[in-house]
Amino acid sequence: MEKILTKKTFPKWVKKLDTYEIYTPILKDNTWSYELIQDAEALDLDSLNPNTTIVEAPKKIILPQRETLLEFSTAEDGTPKIKASLPEMKPTIILGVRPCDAKAVSLSDKVFGGEYTDSYYFNRRNQTILIGLTCLTPPSPNCFCTSVGGSPHSQEGLDLLLTDMGDKYHINAITKMGEQLLKSAPELFKTPNAEEKSGVKKLLAESEKNLKRNIAQVTKISEKLKDLFDSPLWDEEAMSCLRCGICTYLCPTCHCFDITDEVTSSSPLNGKRVRVWDNCQFPDFTMHSSGHNPRPDKASRLRQRIMHKFRYFVEIHQNYQCTGCGRCTSLCPVGIDIIDVLEKVRDYG
Amino acid sequence: MVNLEDLKKEAKRILEEGKVKYIIGYVRSTANNLAAPAFISKPDDIDKLIWDPSCVHNLAKFLVDEKRRKKLAQREPDNRPIGIVVKGCDSRAINVLLQEKFIQREDVFIMGLSCENAGVIDEIKLKAKLKGKKITKLEFDVKADPAVIVHTKDDDKDGKVKLAVSEVLAERCIECQARYPLVYDILLGDKNTKKAEDPFKSLEQIESMSPQQRWEFWQEQLEKCIRCYACRSVCPMCYCDECVVDTINFAVTADTSAEEKAQKIKWIEKSPVSSENFGYHLIRAIHLAGRCIDCGECERVCPLDIPLRYLNKKLEKAAKDLYDYDVGFDPEQPSLISCFKDEDPEDFIR
Repeated sequence: MEKILTKKTFPKWVKKLDTYEIYTPILKDNTWSYELIQDAEALDLDSLNPNTTIVEAPKKIILPQRETLLEFSTAEDGTPKIKASLPEMKPTIILGVRPCDAKAVSLSDKVFGGEYTDSYYFNRRNQTILIGLTCLTPPSPNCFCTSVGGSPHSQEGLDLLLTDMGDKYHINAITKMGEQLLKSAPELFKTPNAEEKSGVKKLLAESEKNLKRNIAQVTKISEKLKDLFDSPLWDEEAMSCLRCGICTYLCPTCHCFDITDEVTSSSPLNGKRVRVWDNCQFPDFTMHSSGHNPRPDKASRLRQRIMHKFRYFVEIHQNYQCTGCGRCTSLCPVGIDIIDVLEKVRDYG
Repeated sequence: MVNLEDLKKEAKRILEEGKVKYIIGYVRSTANNLAAPAFISKPDDIDKLIWDPSCVHNLAKFLVDEKRRKKLAQREPDNRPIGIVVKGCDSRAINVLLQEKFIQREDVFIMGLSCENAGVIDEIKLKAKLKGKKITKLEFDVKADPAVIVHTKDDDKDGKVKLAVSEVLAERCIECQARYPLVYDILLGDKNTKKAEDPFKSLEQIESMSPQQRWEFWQEQLEKCIRCYACRSVCPMCYCDECVVDTINFAVTADTSAEEKAQKIKWIEKSPVSSENFGYHLIRAIHLAGRCIDCGECERVCPLDIPLRYLNKKLEKAAKDLYDYDVGFDPEQPSLISCFKDEDPEDFIR
């Protein structure tokens, strides 16, 4: 279903959505991130497209950095008590989500779904509606979505896709849930005419040409990585790595977590079992209790990051675990450039 | 004025003569055309070296890596020095590493570059000035009115903007007390001994707040922390084998009892919640008292823009006010927190 909504009418629509918690890109202290908005009517449409990297990806809403899995306590007679705490999330809309970030959510769905369903994740995910915005110009100079199977107007993971047509938005409903949102206020939308239909087609085609970066022959990379496990390439590329967690924590697709017990009292025993994001760039990531560390240095950690995204994930889920958002490259304090690393992998030997 | 060709000539010479193992310098990043650290071991690669106002990184950090590598070396380690390009602030970091005997003077061949009457940029300030234009190259213009010349590209049109240093310099450069290297083997550029009038000016705003306001300020700021530890990882003074936030040296053997495992001390939980974030940042700040040389790297790398420099700057000011202690100016002076003098004030101890 395709619809047109004028920018003037847009606030009215957002007002109609007031039963939802709405997140949009917000600027705070020089940093853009998807944040909960308090006053839906005061929404600034320009902020939907900040034309720069949105530092924190929407994964923090669906897979929060810390969540309680269960609470444990001791009854007076000494019996241990355990209470699971499944999250209850209000119906939520993430408005103005980048197509790459929405695709990242659909990749996480594969990880937390599949053979086992992670109900903590899906309790949130099933309450979340993603309304995307076509990137008519690439938000970051390091965007390369088209090289990894995405596009500036990709529909993957989205319920609705908006395309900015100047004084109005073209809206494409992708899922039933998206259609429902449009049907809830039919008086606000009109059906696009032939001119608007061809106009949006042209805009979408143009948007693909504006990316500044790409990786040629990307399919070679997964194959090549099979032979590069022990390559000195990783030492060279990781020389300037600081071992910080920026590339992974801010990656929209990275999803590793650690489970720890936070004990508030040891006698009687009380506390919480929490799940917290983990990071393959840290020294204690998958550290064995024997003292053995399978990834003892930064070269092996960079290798892990690349291998996971471009080899292991491809083998398991037939998809790159990278959506080409460019965050890891733009935000790396020492300029480690994933495109540069991947090209070196492709051309190695 | 620093002539980049002079730097390249020296760098090439020491590499060709085999005087150094490799050189840590700056090259142009493929990500944004700004400077990025590079490790050069082939004389042919020397031409990639750059020196421009985006050379913000404190390369002394990588001396910590080198020491780790040496320690882990399977074979006889190559004990030749490392060539390193340093600015004034970076050289003070080397002085602290020397003072703390973390490195020896002969471990490094220091190529000092003077910032003269400029400094390095604050990327946020620069980007605000450029309004979306992409940078292709930066240049110093260190004449009477120091400026930064930015070459840009916008819709495939080339442009050039000249910005006064006062508009785009990093705050720490504006407050810098020595814009030239204090320790070096070769020095390029003029020693500009002009000091900032008030090195602690940026603290005024926070110091004027009431304790309650300050508490709220830091609570709001530290709430943003995602504990990526970039601030710790980039710091040349953070060289502990095991950081308080990582637990890597607790080996479990067949004989480790459940009790021992349970008693393993966890100083800070992994959860990015207020109490743990405060714990982490305050431990980090206190560990840098009398050691932080104000390279500002912790604040620069923070992806959430937490103004971490203020924490360190406050401690630097305390060291100055209480003990007249300047950090990184003299590798021979005893370090602030490991020495005691009879005349040390103690009236603030309660």
